[in-house]
Amino acid sequence: MSEPSSECAAILANVSAYLDGELEATACAAIEAHCATCSSCARLVEGLRRTIGLCRHAGTVPIPEDVRARARDSVRRLLDDRARGG
Amino acid sequence: MGGTDSKAEYATLVRDAATGDRDAMERLLIRAQEVAYRFSLLVCGHPEDAEDVMQDALLKTYEHVGRIDDPSAFRTWLYTTVRNACLMKRRRRIGEPTSFDPVDPVRVVDPAPSADERLIEQGMDRRLRAALNRLPPAHRMVVVMREMDGLSTKDVAAVTGLSEANVKQRLHRARLALRRDLEQR
Repeated sequence: MSEPSSECAAILANVSAYLDGELEATACAAIEAHCATCSSCARLVEGLRRTIGLCRHAGTVPIPEDVRARARDSVRRLLDDRARGG
Repeated sequence: MGGTDSKAEYATLVRDAATGDRDAMERLLIRAQEVAYRFSLLVCGHPEDAEDVMQDALLKTYEHVGRIDDPSAFRTWLYTTVRNACLMKRRRRIGEPTSFDPVDPVRVVDPAPSADERLIEQGMDRRLRAALNRLPPAHRMVVVMREMDGLSTKDVAAVTGLSEANVKQRLHRARLALRRDLEQR
Protein backbone atom coordinates (compact mmCIF):
# COMPACT_ATOMS: atom_id res chain seq x y z
CA MET A 1 0.00 0.00 0.00
CA SER A 2 1.34 3.45 -0.90
CA GLU A 3 1.90 6.16 1.75
CA PRO A 4 -0.82 8.86 1.92
CA SER A 5 0.26 11.87 -0.12
CA SER A 6 -0.93 15.48 -0.23
CA GLU A 7 -3.17 14.33 -3.08
CA CYS A 8 -4.72 11.75 -0.73
CA ALA A 9 -5.38 14.52 1.81
CA ALA A 10 -7.11 16.56 -0.91
CA ILE A 11 -9.27 13.55 -1.82
CA LEU A 12 -10.27 13.09 1.81
CA ALA A 13 -11.26 16.76 2.06
CA ASN A 14 -13.26 16.78 -1.17
CA VAL A 15 -14.73 13.31 -1.42
CA SER A 16 -18.19 14.30 -0.13
CA ALA A 17 -18.43 17.18 -2.58
CA TYR A 18 -17.29 14.77 -5.32
CA LEU A 19 -19.93 12.18 -4.45
CA ASP A 20 -22.61 14.88 -4.18
CA GLY A 21 -21.79 16.12 -7.68
CA GLU A 22 -20.67 19.50 -6.42
CA LEU A 23 -17.20 19.55 -7.99
CA GLU A 24 -16.30 20.85 -11.40
CA ALA A 25 -15.39 18.38 -14.14
CA THR A 26 -11.65 19.01 -13.88
CA ALA A 27 -11.65 18.35 -10.12
CA CYS A 28 -13.67 15.16 -10.66
CA ALA A 29 -11.22 14.00 -13.31
CA ALA A 30 -8.29 14.64 -10.95
CA ILE A 31 -9.92 12.52 -8.23
CA GLU A 32 -10.67 9.71 -10.67
CA ALA A 33 -7.11 9.77 -12.04
CA HIS A 34 -5.69 9.64 -8.51
CA CYS A 35 -7.99 6.75 -7.50
CA ALA A 36 -6.83 4.80 -10.55
CA THR A 37 -3.36 4.65 -9.01
CA CYS A 38 -4.10 4.83 -5.26
CA SER A 39 -5.95 1.79 -3.91
CA SER A 40 -6.43 3.40 -0.49
CA CYS A 41 -8.31 6.41 -1.90
CA ALA A 42 -10.22 4.20 -4.32
CA ARG A 43 -11.43 2.11 -1.35
CA LEU A 44 -12.38 5.27 0.53
CA VAL A 45 -14.44 6.59 -2.36
CA GLU A 46 -16.18 3.24 -2.94
CA GLY A 47 -16.78 2.74 0.78
CA LEU A 48 -18.39 6.15 1.09
CA ARG A 49 -20.47 5.54 -2.02
CA ARG A 50 -21.80 2.31 -0.47
CA THR A 51 -22.44 4.06 2.87
CA ILE A 52 -24.41 6.83 1.19
CA GLY A 53 -26.36 4.22 -0.79
CA LEU A 54 -27.26 2.38 2.42
CA CYS A 55 -28.44 5.63 4.04
CA ARG A 56 -30.56 6.56 1.03
CA HIS A 57 -32.11 3.10 0.95
CA ALA A 58 -32.91 3.44 4.66
CA GLY A 59 -34.88 6.57 3.79
CA THR A 60 -37.24 4.45 1.68
CA VAL A 61 -37.98 1.94 4.44
CA PRO A 62 -41.61 2.39 5.49
CA ILE A 63 -42.60 2.83 9.09
CA PRO A 64 -44.26 -0.23 10.69
CA GLU A 65 -47.82 -0.75 9.49
CA ASP A 66 -49.32 -0.67 12.98
CA VAL A 67 -47.70 2.74 13.64
CA ARG A 68 -49.07 3.99 10.34
CA ALA A 69 -52.53 2.62 11.18
CA ARG A 70 -52.47 4.41 14.55
CA ALA A 71 -51.40 7.64 12.82
CA ARG A 72 -54.28 7.27 10.35
CA ASP A 73 -56.76 6.68 13.19
CA SER A 74 -55.51 9.75 15.09
CA VAL A 75 -55.88 11.89 11.98
CA ARG A 76 -59.42 10.69 11.28
CA ARG A 77 -60.45 11.21 14.91
CA LEU A 78 -59.05 14.74 14.84
CA LEU A 79 -60.71 15.65 11.53
CA ASP A 80 -64.07 14.13 12.56
CA ASP A 81 -63.90 15.93 15.89
CA ARG A 82 -63.10 19.32 14.27
CA ALA A 83 -65.80 18.76 11.62
CA ARG A 84 -68.32 18.39 14.47
CA GLY A 85 -67.03 21.68 15.89
CA GLY A 86 -64.87 20.10 18.60
CA MET B 1 -43.54 5.15 2.32
CA GLY B 2 -40.12 6.38 3.37
CA GLY B 3 -39.00 9.88 4.23
CA THR B 4 -38.04 11.14 0.81
CA ASP B 5 -41.20 12.97 -0.22
CA SER B 6 -40.23 16.07 -2.11
CA LYS B 7 -40.69 19.63 -0.99
CA ALA B 8 -42.99 20.18 -3.99
CA GLU B 9 -45.23 17.24 -3.00
CA TYR B 10 -45.63 18.70 0.48
CA ALA B 11 -46.37 22.13 -0.97
CA THR B 12 -49.14 20.71 -3.19
CA LEU B 13 -50.70 18.86 -0.27
CA VAL B 14 -50.51 22.00 1.89
CA ARG B 15 -52.23 24.12 -0.77
CA ASP B 16 -55.00 21.56 -1.24
CA ALA B 17 -55.45 21.02 2.50
CA ALA B 18 -55.67 24.78 3.09
CA THR B 19 -58.61 25.00 0.66
CA GLY B 20 -60.58 22.42 2.64
CA ASP B 21 -59.66 19.24 0.76
CA ARG B 22 -60.11 16.63 3.51
CA ASP B 23 -58.24 13.89 1.65
CA ALA B 24 -55.20 16.17 1.19
CA MET B 25 -55.36 17.20 4.86
CA GLU B 26 -55.51 13.55 5.90
CA ARG B 27 -52.50 12.60 3.79
CA LEU B 28 -50.54 15.63 4.98
CA LEU B 29 -51.23 14.88 8.64
CA ILE B 30 -50.27 11.21 8.22
CA ARG B 31 -47.00 12.27 6.57
CA ALA B 32 -46.31 14.73 9.36
CA GLN B 33 -46.66 11.91 11.88
CA GLU B 34 -44.44 9.60 9.84
CA VAL B 35 -41.72 12.27 9.81
CA ALA B 36 -42.16 12.68 13.57
CA TYR B 37 -41.91 8.92 14.19
CA ARG B 38 -38.78 8.43 12.09
CA PHE B 39 -37.04 11.53 13.42
CA SER B 40 -37.85 10.68 17.01
CA LEU B 41 -36.62 7.12 16.65
CA LEU B 42 -33.59 7.64 14.42
CA VAL B 43 -32.27 10.95 15.72
CA CYS B 44 -33.35 11.13 19.35
CA GLY B 45 -33.18 7.40 20.01
CA HIS B 46 -36.12 7.37 22.42
CA PRO B 47 -38.85 5.31 20.81
CA GLU B 48 -41.00 5.79 23.91
CA ASP B 49 -41.19 9.51 23.02
CA ALA B 50 -42.30 8.87 19.45
CA GLU B 51 -46.04 8.72 20.16
CA ASP B 52 -45.98 12.10 21.95
CA VAL B 53 -43.88 13.70 19.22
CA MET B 54 -46.29 12.32 16.60
CA GLN B 55 -49.28 13.77 18.46
CA ASP B 56 -47.51 17.13 18.72
CA ALA B 57 -46.79 17.10 14.97
CA LEU B 58 -50.40 16.19 14.24
CA LEU B 59 -51.95 19.03 16.21
CA LYS B 60 -49.40 21.68 15.24
CA THR B 61 -49.62 20.79 11.55
CA TYR B 62 -53.41 20.93 11.64
CA GLU B 63 -53.33 24.36 13.25
CA HIS B 64 -50.53 25.63 10.99
CA VAL B 65 -51.93 24.67 7.59
CA GLY B 66 -54.53 27.42 7.42
CA ARG B 67 -51.96 30.09 8.26
CA ILE B 68 -49.23 29.19 5.79
CA ASP B 69 -48.14 31.99 3.44
CA ASP B 70 -45.49 29.97 1.61
CA PRO B 71 -46.41 26.28 1.11
CA SER B 72 -42.91 25.54 -0.20
CA ALA B 73 -41.58 26.34 3.28
CA PHE B 74 -43.83 23.75 4.94
CA ARG B 75 -41.35 20.87 5.00
CA THR B 76 -38.70 23.01 6.73
CA TRP B 77 -41.34 24.15 9.23
CA LEU B 78 -42.35 20.53 9.91
CA TYR B 79 -38.80 19.33 10.60
CA THR B 80 -38.15 22.35 12.81
CA THR B 81 -41.33 21.61 14.77
CA VAL B 82 -40.47 17.92 15.16
CA ARG B 83 -36.88 18.72 16.14
CA ASN B 84 -38.10 21.16 18.79
CA ALA B 85 -40.58 18.61 20.16
CA CYS B 86 -37.76 16.05 20.47
CA LEU B 87 -35.53 18.63 22.19
CA MET B 88 -38.32 19.42 24.68
CA LYS B 89 -38.61 15.73 25.47
CA ARG B 90 -34.87 15.51 26.07
CA ARG B 91 -34.90 18.53 28.38
CA ARG B 92 -37.76 17.07 30.42
CA ARG B 93 -35.85 13.82 30.79
CA ILE B 94 -32.87 15.52 32.44
CA GLY B 95 -33.25 15.28 36.21
CA GLU B 96 -35.66 12.39 36.12
CA PRO B 97 -34.79 9.74 38.67
CA THR B 98 -32.82 6.87 37.23
CA SER B 99 -34.44 3.50 37.57
CA PHE B 100 -32.27 0.80 39.11
CA ASP B 101 -34.76 -1.97 38.49
CA PRO B 102 -32.62 -4.92 37.44
CA VAL B 103 -35.17 -6.28 34.99
CA ASP B 104 -38.33 -5.08 33.35
CA PRO B 105 -40.88 -7.81 34.15
CA VAL B 106 -43.07 -6.82 31.21
CA ARG B 107 -40.23 -7.47 28.82
CA VAL B 108 -39.51 -10.83 30.37
CA VAL B 109 -43.13 -11.92 29.95
CA ASP B 110 -43.70 -10.29 26.56
CA PRO B 111 -40.47 -9.81 24.61
CA ALA B 112 -42.05 -7.60 21.93
CA PRO B 113 -39.55 -6.43 19.30
CA SER B 114 -38.12 -2.97 19.95
CA ALA B 115 -38.92 -0.08 17.63
CA ASP B 116 -35.39 -0.44 16.22
CA GLU B 117 -35.89 -4.13 15.54
CA ARG B 118 -39.17 -3.42 13.83
CA LEU B 119 -37.57 -0.85 11.51
CA ILE B 120 -34.90 -3.43 10.74
CA GLU B 121 -37.59 -6.03 10.02
CA GLN B 122 -39.12 -3.55 7.58
CA GLY B 123 -35.83 -3.48 5.62
CA MET B 124 -33.41 -1.08 7.30
CA ASP B 125 -29.84 -2.35 7.41
CA ARG B 126 -29.07 -3.58 10.95
CA ARG B 127 -25.39 -2.53 10.85
CA LEU B 128 -26.30 0.94 9.57
CA ARG B 129 -28.84 1.36 12.38
CA ALA B 130 -26.20 0.41 14.96
CA ALA B 131 -23.59 2.68 13.35
CA LEU B 132 -26.05 5.59 13.31
CA ASN B 133 -26.65 5.09 17.03
CA ARG B 134 -22.93 5.50 17.66
CA LEU B 135 -22.79 8.91 15.93
CA PRO B 136 -23.14 12.09 17.99
CA PRO B 137 -26.82 13.18 17.85
CA ALA B 138 -25.95 16.42 16.02
CA HIS B 139 -24.32 14.40 13.22
CA ARG B 140 -27.08 11.77 13.23
CA MET B 141 -29.67 14.52 12.69
CA VAL B 142 -27.86 15.81 9.61
CA VAL B 143 -27.53 12.30 8.15
CA VAL B 144 -31.22 11.53 8.70
CA MET B 145 -32.48 14.78 7.18
CA ARG B 146 -29.97 15.06 4.35
CA GLU B 147 -29.34 11.44 3.29
CA MET B 148 -32.47 9.58 4.35
CA ASP B 149 -35.20 12.18 4.06
CA GLY B 150 -33.70 14.05 1.11
CA LEU B 151 -33.71 17.61 2.47
CA SER B 152 -31.36 20.03 0.75
CA THR B 153 -28.30 21.41 2.52
CA LYS B 154 -30.08 24.77 2.64
CA ASP B 155 -33.17 23.26 4.29
CA VAL B 156 -31.10 21.33 6.85
CA ALA B 157 -29.31 24.59 7.65
CA ALA B 158 -32.67 26.32 8.15
CA VAL B 159 -33.91 23.55 10.48
CA THR B 160 -30.74 23.33 12.56
CA GLY B 161 -29.66 26.98 12.54
CA LEU B 162 -26.25 25.96 11.20
CA SER B 163 -24.54 27.54 8.21
CA GLU B 164 -24.65 25.52 4.98
CA ALA B 165 -20.86 25.06 5.25
CA ASN B 166 -21.32 23.58 8.72
CA VAL B 167 -24.05 21.22 7.53
CA LYS B 168 -21.72 19.98 4.78
CA GLN B 169 -18.86 19.57 7.23
CA ARG B 170 -20.99 17.57 9.68
CA LEU B 171 -22.35 15.40 6.90
CA HIS B 172 -18.84 14.71 5.62
CA ARG B 173 -17.58 13.74 9.08
CA ALA B 174 -20.66 11.61 9.72
CA ARG B 175 -20.23 9.76 6.42
CA LEU B 176 -16.57 9.05 7.19
CA ALA B 177 -17.47 7.79 10.67
CA LEU B 178 -20.30 5.60 9.35
CA ARG B 179 -18.10 4.13 6.65
CA ARG B 180 -15.34 3.37 9.15
CA ASP B 181 -17.83 1.81 11.56
CA LEU B 182 -19.52 -0.28 8.87
CA GLU B 183 -16.21 -1.60 7.55
CA GLN B 184 -14.86 -2.49 11.00
CA ARG B 185 -17.79 -4.71 12.00
